[in-house]
Amino acid sequence: MEIITANELVSGAVVYLDCNGRWVQDVNAARRFQAGETSERDEFVKRAKANIRLVSVEVEAVREVNGALVPDRLRARIRALGTTAPYGAQRQVLGEDGHVSL
Amino acid sequence: MYRYDEFDAAFVAGRVSQFRDQVNRRIAGDLSEEQFRPLRLMNGLYLQLHAYMLRIAVPYGTLNSRQLRKLAHIARKYDRGYGHFTTRQNIQFNWPRLKDVPDILDELSEVEMHSIQTSGNCIRNVTTDQFAGAAADEIIDPRPIGEIIRQWSSLHPEFSYLPRKFKIALTGASRDRAAVKFHDIGLMAKADGSGQIGWTVYVGGGLGRTPMVAKKIRDFVPHADLLAYLEAIVRVYNLHGRRDNKFKARIKILVHEEGLESIRSQVESEFEQIRGGVLTLPQEELDRIAAYFAPPDFASRDTDPGELDAWRARDPAFERWLERNTHPHAQRGYASVTVSLKPIGGAPGDATAEQMDSVADLAERYSFDELRVSHEQNLVLPHVALGDLRAVFEGLVSVGLATGNAGLITDIIACPGLDFCALANARSIPIAQEISRRFSAPDRQKEIGDLKIKISGCINACGHHHVGHIGILGVEKKGDELYQITVGGDATEDAAIGNILGRGFGAEEVPGAVERLVDAYIERRNAPEESFIEAFRRLGDAPFKEALYGSQ
Repeated sequence: MEIITANELVSGAVVYLDCNGRWVQDVNAARRFQAGETSERDEFVKRAKANIRLVSVEVEAVREVNGALVPDRLRARIRALGTTAPYGAQRQVLGEDGHVSL
Repeated sequence: MYRYDEFDAAFVAGRVSQFRDQVNRRIAGDLSEEQFRPLRLMNGLYLQLHAYMLRIAVPYGTLNSRQLRKLAHIARKYDRGYGHFTTRQNIQFNWPRLKDVPDILDELSEVEMHSIQTSGNCIRNVTTDQFAGAAADEIIDPRPIGEIIRQWSSLHPEFSYLPRKFKIALTGASRDRAAVKFHDIGLMAKADGSGQIGWTVYVGGGLGRTPMVAKKIRDFVPHADLLAYLEAIVRVYNLHGRRDNKFKARIKILVHEEGLESIRSQVESEFEQIRGGVLTLPQEELDRIAAYFAPPDFASRDTDPGELDAWRARDPAFERWLERNTHPHAQRGYASVTVSLKPIGGAPGDATAEQMDSVADLAERYSFDELRVSHEQNLVLPHVALGDLRAVFEGLVSVGLATGNAGLITDIIACPGLDFCALANARSIPIAQEISRRFSAPDRQKEIGDLKIKISGCINACGHHHVGHIGILGVEKKGDELYQITVGGDATEDAAIGNILGRGFGAEEVPGAVERLVDAYIERRNAPEESFIEAFRRLGDAPFKEALYGSQ
């Protein structure tokens, strides 16, 4: 199972493509692409890369653990949950002008 | 300290204006990320895991109180109320928004600071001894030459697109506190037979995936010829450094593959052609720049230590702080003070806006308005009269910065690691925090004595793990963090790269592994005066390997 993630241009905040074509901050709201949806996934990636408001578009493998989506890669887990260092507990938030749709 | 002239001010203001236009065009969609990325990197702006990161240069680690207050203001207004001081003597902000960055740079320019050449394949911020201009063992204050190198290397047209980044460090003291042998070029001040002071030049040092100790390329270069000699080295590197492979592009690889004698021959040939030309540094220009770094009016403060001994006797925390965090000063009646940014359990190098403001106040009141950033991620008040030490200590206590641990096991260097960095494979900060907590007891730290732990979250080695007495490198293995431990590294004039002793450890195992190394050292040292690194050199790997992995 996979999801699509990126950083929003102005804030740099981590965002995920949801089922409505919007980019949201909650990894659990991310659209899940199953093994048979490769071409559809690639089409969304192509459109995301063409979106001037998105940076670092990536596909991440995830699994569901107790109803929550958990990325396979450690890097992606830290992006999803936020830094564990002092002063960083809150994730970067999208600004008023940070809402992006495909 | 150096003050901008009209050229400097106009140049920096022009760069801010240029970048503001570039940011506006990016947000408007007129520039793609592919087009914008090299432009933002030229201004020290990275996109990390969670947000942008802005790296601000602190030339040769020297600041005044106005500049530190400005950094505090930026932390408060545009970031999350703190900044992170780095092993490059710079400061990084981890949470700025793209649209605010031109305003941040504008504010920085008001205090003669910028982010130019803090990224990219150019000559980066020149670094030096944090006690420069103050240390008792100093032959010469290296900052005037540091400033001249900064001016020479800033937007140098020939060296703006080098094969890879290029770092120069220099020290004016006999003890190397600037890790000069782990830089592309390292300079150590030296007096020749006639008493003339110049520079011994080392080349091809570095850390990263291929750590190397720099090799001496010339024993003595006088001030007048230094820029020509540096230009000759960088020109040879620019011509022959490998551009085909990013991982083999640093000058250390060129020196290693071609051999020192070949590189020396090419550099000397180039040097002979340009020596005596426009790059010759006239004594009057050196004197003009040196005047900016003239010693303060030391006689203006009362240097009577007053109640110092009485305070020392009645306050153990003050005694520890005096013992560890003050450094001998060239001026009688003064000391340099290390402001530890390593509170027990804290993130190494982090300082809040309130802490920065308080340190700026202390610098203004007690250190002739001077501050330094050390490559060990601490701040320094370089000129404190002995009679003012108690007041400085109390000021630091009030903002949680009076930890008396400089050079001890809890004075850990750590890169931002996977908590922030897009390049990292593993976290560094939580490992540093856990080790710090494990060894928090002051008596235990004192018993262990001098011991440098350095932690990197990837092979790029921003945390200098190769040169830690105990080095810790984080890697990712099957989705989990694993930490490789090295022993015996040394960043000083006795430069050495640490040895890998065996398999890596899980994050939760690292503090225990460090403790076993420490216990092995204490059991086997000749005397408490024999430091960890001295004992390692005498004993070799074996007892430490056994401590980590048992008899095999």
